[in-house]
Amino acid sequence: MAPLELEFDGLRRTYGTVKALDGLSFGVPAGQVFGFLGPNGAGKTTAMRALFGVTALEAGEIRWRSKPVDEAARRTFGYMPEDRGLYPAMALFDQVDYFARLHGMTASEADSAARHWIGRLGLAGRGRTRIDTLSHGNQQRAQLAVALVHKPELLVLDEPFSGLDPAGIDDMSAILAERAAAGVTVLFSSHQLDLVENICDAVAIIYQGRLVTSGTVAELRRGDQPRLAVRVGGDREAAWAEQVRGIGTIESVRPDGTAVISLTSSGDSQRVLDLARAAGPVEHFAFEDRSLSDVFREATGASVSQAEAEHAQRAMAGGR
Amino acid sequence: MTSQRSFPMTWLVARREILQRGRTRVFAITTLILMVAVALGVALPAILSSGGKTQHVGIVGADTATLSGIVAEAGRLSGETAVAVPLPNLAAAEAALRSGLVSAVLVENTEVLVEQVPVSGTSGSLGTLSQLAGLSKLIQEVPGAAAAVGHGVALPVRGLEAPSKSLASRLTGLFTIVIVWVLISVYGSQIALGIGEEKSSRVVEVLLSTVRPIQLMVGKVLGIGLLALTQAAAMVAVFIVAGFASGSSLVHGETLGIVLIGGVFIVLGYAFYCTAFAAAGSLVSRQSDVNSTVLPVQLPLIVTYALSYTVIYANSANTFYHVLGFLPPTAPIAMPVLYAAGDVPLWQVVVAAAATAAGTVWMARVATRIYTASILRTGPRISFRQALRNAQA
Repeated sequence: MAPLELEFDGLRRTYGTVKALDGLSFGVPAGQVFGFLGPNGAGKTTAMRALFGVTALEAGEIRWRSKPVDEAARRTFGYMPEDRGLYPAMALFDQVDYFARLHGMTASEADSAARHWIGRLGLAGRGRTRIDTLSHGNQQRAQLAVALVHKPELLVLDEPFSGLDPAGIDDMSAILAERAAAGVTVLFSSHQLDLVENICDAVAIIYQGRLVTSGTVAELRRGDQPRLAVRVGGDREAAWAEQVRGIGTIESVRPDGTAVISLTSSGDSQRVLDLARAAGPVEHFAFEDRSLSDVFREATGASVSQAEAEHAQRAMAGGR
Repeated sequence: MTSQRSFPMTWLVARREILQRGRTRVFAITTLILMVAVALGVALPAILSSGGKTQHVGIVGADTATLSGIVAEAGRLSGETAVAVPLPNLAAAEAALRSGLVSAVLVENTEVLVEQVPVSGTSGSLGTLSQLAGLSKLIQEVPGAAAAVGHGVALPVRGLEAPSKSLASRLTGLFTIVIVWVLISVYGSQIALGIGEEKSSRVVEVLLSTVRPIQLMVGKVLGIGLLALTQAAAMVAVFIVAGFASGSSLVHGETLGIVLIGGVFIVLGYAFYCTAFAAAGSLVSRQSDVNSTVLPVQLPLIVTYALSYTVIYANSANTFYHVLGFLPPTAPIAMPVLYAAGDVPLWQVVVAAAATAAGTVWMARVATRIYTASILRTGPRISFRQALRNAQA
């Protein structure tokens, strides 16, 4: 595993009675696309805002390359907050150029960088256009240009995929992958766990201000207990699978008769295959990965949507 | 590294304000309108009162022929037409002056009488008249004196009423505080609206990921302040140029001093109020709420401005207004008025300026705390009291 470049260590923050961050710790490896996942209200935005010093922490520390994050470090970060925002009446080019200067670029560096990113994000020719007259999609691109223009070493995006159409999601994923390939560490948050599982190399999943689990997507989806999906022709109830007790447990039986079995050890898969073949013609036999929302449910006992509904109820009751 | 970069960051923020606002058509047009208004305000009275008009000058005395000659000659020398109006005695002369029938009365060999001696002194046709009449008296009384006329002996010019030190000076005072009031309110509101815009558009979070709140605030008031100062300087320049070009009495020594004192108080007043307006802007999440938080900040200015009219048209200011002249929130308007009305000596102006400067430092501290505590709080409008409590926490 790549060395950790960004470390969140024991972050705590309370809003009234709500613990937004409750001892959150995880690390982000260098040069990867890292997903920061969890249902709405899990504390993702608070953690990201703390990284940029716009939310104070009650306890904990955030380290960049082993040193506490300070102003100088933040100038090498790019940020796209959840509440997107640019000066509505300012022209696109001026705006991107201004943020490049604020991050320490010289006038000429800022000029060429702004030109480059405006072109790269498909906004060429719109440099003189006011932000508030751009379409919603183009405003999103402008926001991304602002986050990218100063060649950040760490790119932090809060819910970058929310509100994007499928083509927009593909564009955004391509840019994140391209930045990571260029050596940039990319950290983005999302509450749509399954949507982003193909986009990230590794993820941290959080709930109620605490880490649920973290690791590479491949590891998490495989899990400690590999899952097998097996279907035997003519057995719609998967009665044959009763015999696997001892080497695995039946998680579910799908309507087409496919039994989903989690194994105690992956070495036992051949014994399951033998049992199935003895019962009849094997129509389907495959390892099956969990989705990230399955991982979340297994670890917390609640589905992502249940967790979000609870959060919304609490927010309504407590007035935040 | 951080402290070295602190000024450039603040300057980048200020620069954005100047470029974004200074480039707009609104700024160019308002500057032009203000300059034209000042030019007209200064030059119009002078233009209307001089040139081409026929002056009626009363004469009192036995030798009407000589007196009429002096009046006609004085008119010719000062480029006007002067017509002599014989009057029977001094009482009739005073009545004629008060009714406006004549603009001056030449009393044979004694004096030149006017309703009120102009603040600008006895220049122009009036000066010429008194000079010529004095000369004529000298020649008649002292044989051979014609050779000694180089001394320039003029008859005294007497006013029927005590020379009110300064209608011109008071008007200059009024002109000055109108500019102070307009610039502070207009640019103060722009500060508050600009900060409201940063909050409501949420761009503030992107900004604060690299800029410290204090840099953002100082940069904004600095940039907008420089624009205000540019406009003020343009207006003062127009005031002086138009005043001299039209020969307006508004630009004589005394009133020029008032304009300069006004300039000092524009800077001090802006410095005092700019941070307060910034704090007011930081309390709202929607720009439309800005008006309600800006009003309490503007209130001292509004009250003082309204009271100023009573001082300008009165003989002397009351004690309450005098006190306002030394309080930092009200001094920027009250002090120029008091000085223009001749109610305070210069050293008191200096004391008031020092008090305002000290108040500015205090206000900047309080306002910065409110701003820093409120700038990232979204949701409903925050009250000043709540903001101060947040700042203490």
